[in-house]
This record gives sequence, C-alpha cells and structure tokens, in this order.
Amino acid sequence: MPKNSKGRDIAEIVPGKCIGCQLCVGECPVAAIEMDGPVAKVLPEVCIGCGKCFDVCPVNAVIFDKPRKKKKVAAGAAEAGEYKDVAVFIEVHRGKGAEVSWELAGKARELADKLGARVLGFLLGSNVNDVAGEAITYGCDVVHVIDKPILGTYLSKVYGKALQYLCSQVKPEILLLGATPLGRDLASVVATQLQTGLTADCTGLDIDMERRLLLMTRPTFGGSIMATILCETRRPQMSTVRPRVMKLPEPDPEHKGEIKTLDFSFPDDELPQVMDFIPVASADVDITRAQALVVLGKGACDSRQVPMIEELAHLLGGTVACSRAVVEAGLMPYSRQVGQTGKTVAPKLYIGIGVSGAVQHMVGMQGSEKIIAINTDRHAPIVQIADYSLIGDYQEIVPKIIEGLKARRGGKA
Amino acid sequence: MHIVTCVKQVPDTAQVKIDPETNTLIRSGVESICNPYDTVATEEAVRLAQKHGGRVTVISMGPPQAVEALRECLSIGANEAVLLSDRAFAGADTLATSYTLSRAISKIGEEEPVDLIICGKQAIDGDTAQTGPGIATWLDYSQLTYVTEIISLEDGAITVRREIEGGSEIIRAKLPAVLTVELELASPRYASLPELVRSLRQEVKVWGAKEIEAAPERLGLKGSPTSVRKIFAPPVRGGGEIFAYADEKEKAIDSFMQTLFEKEADTLKELFSEETQ
Repeated sequence: MPKNSKGRDIAEIVPGKCIGCQLCVGECPVAAIEMDGPVAKVLPEVCIGCGKCFDVCPVNAVIFDKPRKKKKVAAGAAEAGEYKDVAVFIEVHRGKGAEVSWELAGKARELADKLGARVLGFLLGSNVNDVAGEAITYGCDVVHVIDKPILGTYLSKVYGKALQYLCSQVKPEILLLGATPLGRDLASVVATQLQTGLTADCTGLDIDMERRLLLMTRPTFGGSIMATILCETRRPQMSTVRPRVMKLPEPDPEHKGEIKTLDFSFPDDELPQVMDFIPVASADVDITRAQALVVLGKGACDSRQVPMIEELAHLLGGTVACSRAVVEAGLMPYSRQVGQTGKTVAPKLYIGIGVSGAVQHMVGMQGSEKIIAINTDRHAPIVQIADYSLIGDYQEIVPKIIEGLKARRGGKA
Repeated sequence: MHIVTCVKQVPDTAQVKIDPETNTLIRSGVESICNPYDTVATEEAVRLAQKHGGRVTVISMGPPQAVEALRECLSIGANEAVLLSDRAFAGADTLATSYTLSRAISKIGEEEPVDLIICGKQAIDGDTAQTGPGIATWLDYSQLTYVTEIISLEDGAITVRREIEGGSEIIRAKLPAVLTVELELASPRYASLPELVRSLRQEVKVWGAKEIEAAPERLGLKGSPTSVRKIFAPPVRGGGEIFAYADEKEKAIDSFMQTLFEKEADTLKELFSEETQ
C-alpha cells in the first residue's frame, strides 16, 4: 500500500524488522504510528509521509514505496567541544585498586590514543595515596584524587557528589567505571546528576573516528542480542564495563604521571550509616570469578555425588555451580545458580554435568571460553554449543576424567 | 506507611532471538511477563504494608498492554495501580524513564506521602540496573541497591542487608528511601481466586505527561541522551566434537582426554597453575 486515499506516499513498517523501540511513535508529528502488540504500525490515513520515522528507525524497519535517503537526526545542543580525555573511575577495595579499574585503564589507553587524548584516573577514598601511584603504573597520565575520611566507606550520595564534582571540574569526554555493584550504583547516580547518557555492562568499546563518538556494545535481552549504543550530544559519555572482559595490562613502573589532589566539602545531610560488613563465607564463593566451573544440572542432582564433583572442580582450580533445578531441589544455594535469574558467568572452562541447556541457563554461560558437556542425551541443547561433549553416565565418566587429569598433573609437576 | 513499587512488562527474554541471517528480532510467540525482580519487589511491599499497616501503589511505564503486569501485581496484594502511558514517553532510555517514574511518584505523593519505593534490581530485557538509582537521584531520596533482606522499618528509617563486592553490608538510612531488590528477598505468592477476580475488575488509572506535570524536553526520545546505533546477534557457537561413552566406554574417554590435552593444553596449564597459587 504505497499511497493512501489522499494520494500520499506513506510509510510502512516491516513487522519482522521492527524491534518495538517506539522511537518512531515518539517522533511522528501527526500521531500516525501506534504499537500493535510488540511492533509499531502505521495508520495509513493519518500518515503524511514526512519520513521522520524513517530517519529515526535504528533498524531500518520503516520503508517507503519510493526509495529515500536517511537524513541525520537533528542533534541537540552540542557541548562536546570543551570536554576531553578519557577518565577511569578507580574503585578501591580494602585499600587496594580493584582489578577491573586497571583493566579499564588499559582500555582507556587504547581509546585515548585513537582520540589523541590523555588517560585520567578519578580516585575517591581515604588514605589512597598508594593507589594513586599504582594508577600511574597502569597508564594514567593524571590522577585526580579526593582523599577524605568520609570517603573511607562507600555511600551512594557522598561518592555521587564527589564524582560529579570531579567531572564538572575536569570535564572528561569519556568516563568508564567497572560494572561491579559499587560501579553500577555510582554510575547511575552520577549520570542522572550530570544529565548525561550511561550504558550499562558493556563488553566492547571503540571509537567512531569520523564523529569522535564512543561506541558502546553490550549484551541485552539476557545475552541473546548485542546492541551498540551512542551518547551523541551530552558529556561525558559514560559506560560501565564488565570485569574480566578487557585485558589486564602489565603495570609499567617507568610510566610517568601526575597526581592532583582536589578539595571538596561535602553537604552535611543526614547520611545512611553502615552498621556492619559481612564478608562472603569461604564456602560461598563468587562463581562469576572462577576460572573453571563445574556445573550441576537436573541430571546430576544427587548429594552423594557432590564430593566427586568438587574434586573435579578443585583439580581444575575452579568451583562448583549449578542450574536452577538444582537450587530448587535444595541441593545448592541460589548464589551458585547460573542463568537468566542467577549469575552470568564466563569462565575459561565450563563443564556442564547433567545440564540439558535450557535457554534461560545458556544465556548465563554462553560467553564461556570452552564448554564441555557431559550428558546422557546426545540431542540436549547444550551439546549443540559445547566444544566437547561426552555422551553417557556422568557417574562413570567423571571419575575417569579425574584420573586422567591427575595423571597429567602428576606428570607435569 | 505508603509504598510504591515500580514494575516493567518485559518479553520473556529466553524466547527472544535474532535471526542470524537478517539480523532482526524473532518475536513471534514471545510472551510478555512482569519482570521477575519487580514481582519480588511488589511481594515484599505487600508484606511490609501488612506488617506495618499501610498500602501499596504499583506503577508502570509502558504501552497500554503493560496494564497486564500491573494486574498481576494487584492480584498478589497491591492496593492501587497506575499506568504511565503516553506517546511522549516513547523511546525513553534510563534517564528519561527514571525521570518519568519520579514525576509520577511525586504526583502520587501529593495525595499521601510516599515513604518507601521498591524496584526490582534490574529488568531482564535491558539488565541495566540504572532506573532505581536514577529515581532515587531525581527525588533526592536515600538509595539502597541490591537489597537481600529488610531487617527493620521503624522511626522513619529502614535497615537492610545489601550485596556488595566481597560480601554484604547492613546499612540504615532515613526514609523516604528507594530500594532495588534481589530475587532472594522474597518468593512471590500465588494469587488466590478472589484476589485474581479483584485484580481484573479493579480500575487502573492511566496517566500521561500532563497528569504527571512533566517537562516535555525530559521525556521519551527527547529526554534520552543515549541511542541505539545497531543491534546484532552474538557470535554463534557451533557444536564441537562428540565422544560416545555410552557406546564406546574406555575408547571414548581415552580419545576425549587425548583431544583435551592436545587442543586445550594452554587452558589446562593456566587452570592448573591457578589451583597451586
């Protein structure tokens, strides 16, 4: 239907392409686009054929009978000019710089080189001089520090105000934070205060050289889709980045940098009080940090076999995790659950034992470097994505693998 | 005690896929559900309201069909529901979304002050975890993220346990506060038949930009600093080698171990050194 009864060349939306983002609905000046379930639909008699929906659609789902060229969507007030350099927020854990911050410093160097800019460290804390020095060895050219007793404990409001202050003073073009609980909490506060764009949990960062924009790529829809996000007009362009995605650089003790200490007085609001800190019990390890994971599924949900599974995990320097069914059966705690409603993991080696590979589970582990499946069913979905699959009874297979690995280790040691 | 919960209707993400050939979303047959974290938030709000006396208002921003998610929350005990639906809200990123929700909460607070706002930690479609802290910042309320337990709620303050790097902390903050909650906080109840019937009959208010007295330039696409440049399918993993232990027994194990030692020597070396550290 190229024309309506008024003879206008009207827009059409290809349902299979539409991602339901509703950008066109908001853009249409005559309210001719409505959501029809998950996709947008054009009301032919209302459409004036202006093509604004066509210009704004991120996936080219809007088509016209007559081919048209995309106009650039009008940008807001550009204030990008006065902002420069790539800043990394340096997270401090018990007096030390967090590894993810150094990974980001490494990535920031790469981005800064492309932009012809410097790498800045933003450091908040109490008695953090050593961390500032460490930041320079990891490649920061300037470290801006606010060092105050009140920053010894993380509080959203206090850290938010301090980081906002650093951004307003130093004006970085890009600000990166680790996608840790602290980093994600803080980044949202600062982005809202600065009224700028923030992209969560990125796994890829690059520069669009032509437009000098940060390209932020992240998994979405539980990992089944990747999206590249831009923050075109506001600054800084902010992103949180998953730990262990970027490579940890080698520290260079020769790298020269400057430490600048800033003063900042905090508003004396009534602040939350941290009453206690309870460290993770040693038995309750963080499965997202493990290099190797041996994962129990419904087909291996047997408490008598757990010691054997633990032996295998230990042999590989890893830990035991599980699927949702195993948590529901009460065999393992929720903190060990991999999947959509559990944790997303990406170990060097994932061994699934009796895990069939429901989609909800696979979105939480498909980023693993190597996958081994041990399953009685050759047609289980996990077998379709595993690098190696052993088909058979795990109770017979696992002891043999343990034996083989022990022999290998013994021979090496 | 007046508690507001913020919920989102989401596609069941496990069912959403990309057609690797055309790079478009395959949406046919995908159901919409109330974001699981938000159902937990509402369950906890209902329990707190029952314990301390009070009521729960649940709000959602979305297209008209998002009313279904609100009805689900009414069926587990929320007292009132407001749907924020307006063309002007379309295309909102987390900054514009948290602004819109914070405006609605202010509006709701004009009738009866809001003491506590509970949001799910994140939505399973976007996974950003940014909207809750955004709301707290817009409203300048106390912010408590990743909450796994509510320890006490009295004298105008709340004490919770929240997950942080390396463990959890017990923290006390004054009200009003915004909480974002983990799944383990509560198990949502099953709706009873009378509650289910009530939820279907109850009126759900629908508010637009005018009702919440929002600044137009902060809404929807205009109020969103971020935009999607492109979407694509993650790299697909193909199936690898299969060893049929059930049929070949020792032979299968031997050939598996040999393959592993040959092809994954580096990985194993790293893992072994990990353990000895």
